[in-house]
Amino acid sequence: MTPKFVRRAAVGLGAALTLAATGAEDAGVPHAKVADMIYSVVSADRSVYTRMVVERLTIEEEAIEASEHFEDDVALPLPAQMFRFGAELVADETEDFSYSLLSLHPINSKNGPGTDLEQEGLRFVLDNEENFYGEEELGGQRYFAAVYPDFAVSEACVDCHNNHKDSPRTDIELGDVIGGVVIRIPME
Amino acid sequence: MSRNVLLTLAATVGTLIAVSIVVVLMVVGGDRRVLLVGATTDAHHQLELACETCHSAPAFADAEAAEEALNKTCRDCHEDALDDNDDSHSRKRFRSPRMAAYWEKLDARFCTTCHVEHRPEITRESAVTVAMDFCVACHSEGDQDIRTVRPSHAGVTFDTCANCHNYHDNRALYEDFLVRHAGQPWLKAEPVHALSAQHRAWEPPAESAIGRSEAVAPASALADPSTIDHWAGSGHAAAGVNCAHCHAPDAAENNLQKEVGESWIHVPTASVCRDCHRQEVRTFALGRHGMRQHPQIAKPRTPETGLASLGVDAVLPEAVTAWLSDPAPPTQMRAAEARLPMRDDARAGSLDCGTCHEPHAVDIEHAAVEACASCHDDPHTRAYFGGPHHALWLAERAGEAAPGTGVSCATCHMVKSKRRGKVTTSHNQNENLRPNEKMIRPVCLDCHGLDFALDALADVDLIVGNFEGKPDVHVESIEWAIRRAEAPADALR
Repeated sequence: MTPKFVRRAAVGLGAALTLAATGAEDAGVPHAKVADMIYSVVSADRSVYTRMVVERLTIEEEAIEASEHFEDDVALPLPAQMFRFGAELVADETEDFSYSLLSLHPINSKNGPGTDLEQEGLRFVLDNEENFYGEEELGGQRYFAAVYPDFAVSEACVDCHNNHKDSPRTDIELGDVIGGVVIRIPME
Repeated sequence: MSRNVLLTLAATVGTLIAVSIVVVLMVVGGDRRVLLVGATTDAHHQLELACETCHSAPAFADAEAAEEALNKTCRDCHEDALDDNDDSHSRKRFRSPRMAAYWEKLDARFCTTCHVEHRPEITRESAVTVAMDFCVACHSEGDQDIRTVRPSHAGVTFDTCANCHNYHDNRALYEDFLVRHAGQPWLKAEPVHALSAQHRAWEPPAESAIGRSEAVAPASALADPSTIDHWAGSGHAAAGVNCAHCHAPDAAENNLQKEVGESWIHVPTASVCRDCHRQEVRTFALGRHGMRQHPQIAKPRTPETGLASLGVDAVLPEAVTAWLSDPAPPTQMRAAEARLPMRDDARAGSLDCGTCHEPHAVDIEHAAVEACASCHDDPHTRAYFGGPHHALWLAERAGEAAPGTGVSCATCHMVKSKRRGKVTTSHNQNENLRPNEKMIRPVCLDCHGLDFALDALADVDLIVGNFEGKPDVHVESIEWAIRRAEAPADALR
C-alpha cells in the first residue's frame, strides 16, 4: 500500500524538480547540469534514508530489520526499493524527467539494461567510476540521458547483492560500483 | 419529379434526421439506450447510462485525448485498490521512457489495452478482453523471456500463465511467499479468523450504555414498544446512541423531546449512518451493492449544459427541456437488475444500509449471512447452508465455539482490516473477489495452509459446492518455488 503522504511527498519532489528543471532550461542551463541537479537531490535523499533510518535502526539500534518483503516482515524498505518507489511515483506524475536504478548485474532482471544507451552507460560507469552522458530516441521522443555510478556504500548493499538467490554477482565489496542511476530528460 | 429523385431526397432527409437525433443524444441530452454499442461488463452495467463517467473527454476531442481521458476515469475509481494490491504491472512502472519498447507489445500504461468495454463477445472474467496467452507479448524474448529466467517454465504454454499468476495482484503468489508457507497442514490446529474474533469480541464501554427509559422520541414512536425494546437491546443503545442521533440529528445534541419531535425523520438515509460509520459507507460505494452512490459517477446532463458545451446559449421551451433531459438515474442498485441469480421475493428491493442491517435489532450478525441469502440465490450460496463453514458459524453463534471460528458469508467476502487498534469491515464485497487468490491473505490463511487454499480456489466445483470436501485440483506453485529455492545457486543464473 502506498501511504498518501508518500505520494504527496513524491508529487512535491517531482514538482520541485520539474520547476527547477524548467527554470534551469529557461536560463540556458545544459541538460547535463539539470540531470546533475536532479541526481544530487534523489541521491541525497537515498543517502539520508540509508544512514539515518536503515543503518541507524537496523545496525546501531537493532530496533527493526530492513527487508525486501518489508510489508510481510513488518520491516523497513531497502534503500534501493525506497529509491525505486520514488522514481515510480515521479513517473506517475510527470513526463518532464524520469530516473531509474539499474545494473548490469541486477537482482531483478527488469532492472537490467533495456536500451543500447543503458548498456553502454552502465558499462562505462562500471569501468570508469565516472558519469556518462548521451542521447537516445525512445518511443519517437529524443532524450538526454545521464548515467551515474552507484556504489555499494553500506554492508546492507553488499550482503543483499552477494547473498540473494537471484543475484548474478556474488563478489561485491564495499565501495564497488554495483549499478547506475539513469536520468532522462526529453529534449523537445 | 422522378421516383428516384424522390427516394433519394427522402433517404437524404431521413439520414439527416437520424444523424441529428444521434448528435443531440450524444452531445445535448436524452435517453441514450439506443446508443449503447454493446452490453457493458457485469460491474459497469449499473452506470452504463451515465456515459460521461467513463467518456469524459469533451465532445469532438481527438482520439488520443479521448483515450487518455477514458483511462483516467478508470484510474479515478480503481487506482487506490490497485495500489493497495501492490500491482505487479502498475501504470507508473511502464510510464518511464525506458519501457518504450514494451508500449508497442502490450501498452501497460493504458487500462483499455486489456479491458475494452461494450465488447461482450470477447470479454472474459474480470472484464479482460485480450487472449489468454497475452503474457507472450512481453515475456517471450530477451531478459524477460520466462523460459530463460525460469528454466522450469520451458515447457509451459503461455495460455496457462493465469493458472498460477495474476497480472495485477500476486501478493499471495510470489516465490518467497510460497516457500515461506510451504508444508502447512490443510487446517491449522486452532483455526480462527483473527480479525473477526477481535471484531466480535469488541463491546462498547459499559458506561456508554443507555436503556429504554432514556429513549427520547416523539410520543408516536415511543408508543411502539417492540421497536423501543429492540433498540434497547441493540449495539446502538449499548454505545449510547439515542433515537435522535439517527432520526433527528439536528436535535441530537440537546436531545429535548420537543425539538427531537420537530426534526424527526422517520426513515433516515445512509448520510446519517455515515456520521459514525464513515469507512463502512465509503467502502459500500466501491462495491457492486452500493456503486450507484459512487462519487465519480457522472450526474445527469441538462440540455442547457449540453448546448453550452457546443457554444450555444439557448433557453428551451419546457417540453423540449423535458424531452432532452437525461432520465433520472436510479440512486440504488436493485436486486431485479442484478446479473447474478436472485430470489424472486427479493427482486423489488433496493440496496442501502438498512437492506442488510436492521438498526433496531439485537442480532447484528443477521447482515453476515441471512441478509445475503435473502437476495442471492445461486448454488454457492445455497450450498453454504449445511456446509462446513456454516456449521462452524452456527457453533460460534450458539456459544459452543470461540469468536472467530465461525465462517459467515461476510468472513470471506467483506474484508476486515485493523488500523490503530480498531477493526473495520470493508463494505465493498468485491474487494477480494476476483481474482479469488486475493482472498488468501486476509481470509483463508488464518485457518488453512497455503497449499490447500491455492488448490481450493482453483477448484471451480469445490467453490460452487461451498467447500464441501477437499480439492480435486492441485496447483504446483509451491513445489516449483521450493525446487528453485533448493536448486544449486549456479543453476539459477
